[in-house]
Amino acid sequence: MHHVMLDHFAGGKTPVHRLDPAAKTVALLAIVLGIVLVGRDHFLPLVPAAAALAAYHLLGRTPLAYTLKRLLVVSPFAAAVIVLFPFLEPGRPVWTLTLWGATVEITREGLLRAGHLAAKFILCAWATVLLLATTRFQDVLQGLTRLRVPRALVVQLAFLYRYLWVLMDEGMRVRMAREARDGGLGPWPVRLRSHAGVVGVLFLRTYDRAERIYWAMAARGFDGTVHAPTTAHLHAKDWLFMVAVCAGAAAMVACDRIFHG
Amino acid sequence: MAEPALDLVDVRYRYPTGPEALRGTTFSVAPGERVGLVGPNGAGKSTLLMAIAGFLSATGTIRVAGHTLTPATARDVRRHLGLVFQDADDQLFMPRVVDDVAFGPVTMGLELREVEVRVHEALAAVGLEGYEARAPYHLSVGEKRRAALATVLAMRPQVLALDEPSANLDPRGRRMLIGLLSSLPNTLLLVGHDLDLILEVCGRTVVMDAGRVVADGPSAAVLGDRKMLESHGLELPLALAARRGATA
Repeated sequence: MHHVMLDHFAGGKTPVHRLDPAAKTVALLAIVLGIVLVGRDHFLPLVPAAAALAAYHLLGRTPLAYTLKRLLVVSPFAAAVIVLFPFLEPGRPVWTLTLWGATVEITREGLLRAGHLAAKFILCAWATVLLLATTRFQDVLQGLTRLRVPRALVVQLAFLYRYLWVLMDEGMRVRMAREARDGGLGPWPVRLRSHAGVVGVLFLRTYDRAERIYWAMAARGFDGTVHAPTTAHLHAKDWLFMVAVCAGAAAMVACDRIFHG
Repeated sequence: MAEPALDLVDVRYRYPTGPEALRGTTFSVAPGERVGLVGPNGAGKSTLLMAIAGFLSATGTIRVAGHTLTPATARDVRRHLGLVFQDADDQLFMPRVVDDVAFGPVTMGLELREVEVRVHEALAAVGLEGYEARAPYHLSVGEKRRAALATVLAMRPQVLALDEPSANLDPRGRRMLIGLLSSLPNTLLLVGHDLDLILEVCGRTVVMDAGRVVADGPSAAVLGDRKMLESHGLELPLALAARRGATA
């Protein structure tokens, strides 16, 4: 079965694809940190960050539809929090609702807050999507290793990425086998029970597979530590990119502090 | 006589929840010999493989390349035993093919240069040069199988043990595997139901049933014994059946 991989467009050959993954990861962290540190309700300092991301987007020739789709996938998590702000933030009411005797107010300040949070969230998510759109996942992992991220964490991410698709394939096969027999019809209690069955089967298979993978590792001498030799190092262009992004993010935060107090 | 590459004496194992899976398995394999291990489902073939690798604590004596297996020596013994699992997805657990093939040599503590030499050599042996940066998930079943074989070849084990190596392979992939296995200098233990493959690759065949060895001898003789095979839930390999059909 074929899945659209997370890093589907990462095989490109543009200048931003060729940047070192460790440099790109540091740049991502810098820009996310900068965006987060911009003071509340300040929109102006976010504009240069958005411009920088747009430039990176164009340089990497990342399809817009791909980016939007990824943003849509992650947005429910943030949206669940953001939609509450217009109701919770005290301030000048712009709209008053009366529901079952209770009065709910949407305030101007609340709307502003929600808008600002949404903008920050979109920029951070956009930056992350761009990293994965221009860097293969295994290279991101190698970059993390070189940045001294604990091995256990990197290995866990590697396993997650390696076996997520295998698990999805297994899930699809089990589901197809079930639907081949019940045609996706049947009374809902029965279907609910069969859903639970699918989850149970997947859990057991995952457990079995984990044991077999461990055996396969032990058969090749695994003793609890994962060694990963790497010879990559940063070139001048990687340093330049990393320093430029970090400096840009720092300047953004500094200007915000100076002009907005 | 040279020391056997693999020596099993009265190996017994009982699953914690089930019946006795191995009931006194005894046979040995000479260095460089290619042996097929066949038997019906539940005969104990896969259990035996896991016991040889020290994953199940079986009783009796197991010696690999002159090293006696005990819980303390299991890691050492596995250096001499290249185990290829039935499902290549279990064996290929790293993000890239090259990392996977390098996993064994790196874990053995070899120098980076030596690791590179071995990875190159192993990938060349299975015909997967140029696959270094590929993700295992994207490989075909046949390519995965060859990559899995490369991961153990890179460790240069004396004994190679393969569980169902031709399962799910198309005829071309299977043919390629037969050529590959026949060209390897290692001692081979091939476990499976593909009797034709074993007839082509292995000079000797061991038949197991209910945890015991029930037949052991030259492949042509053992796999040509229709009566014995059928009494253990097996049947003549197609190649031999066709030959008999032609002469009858």
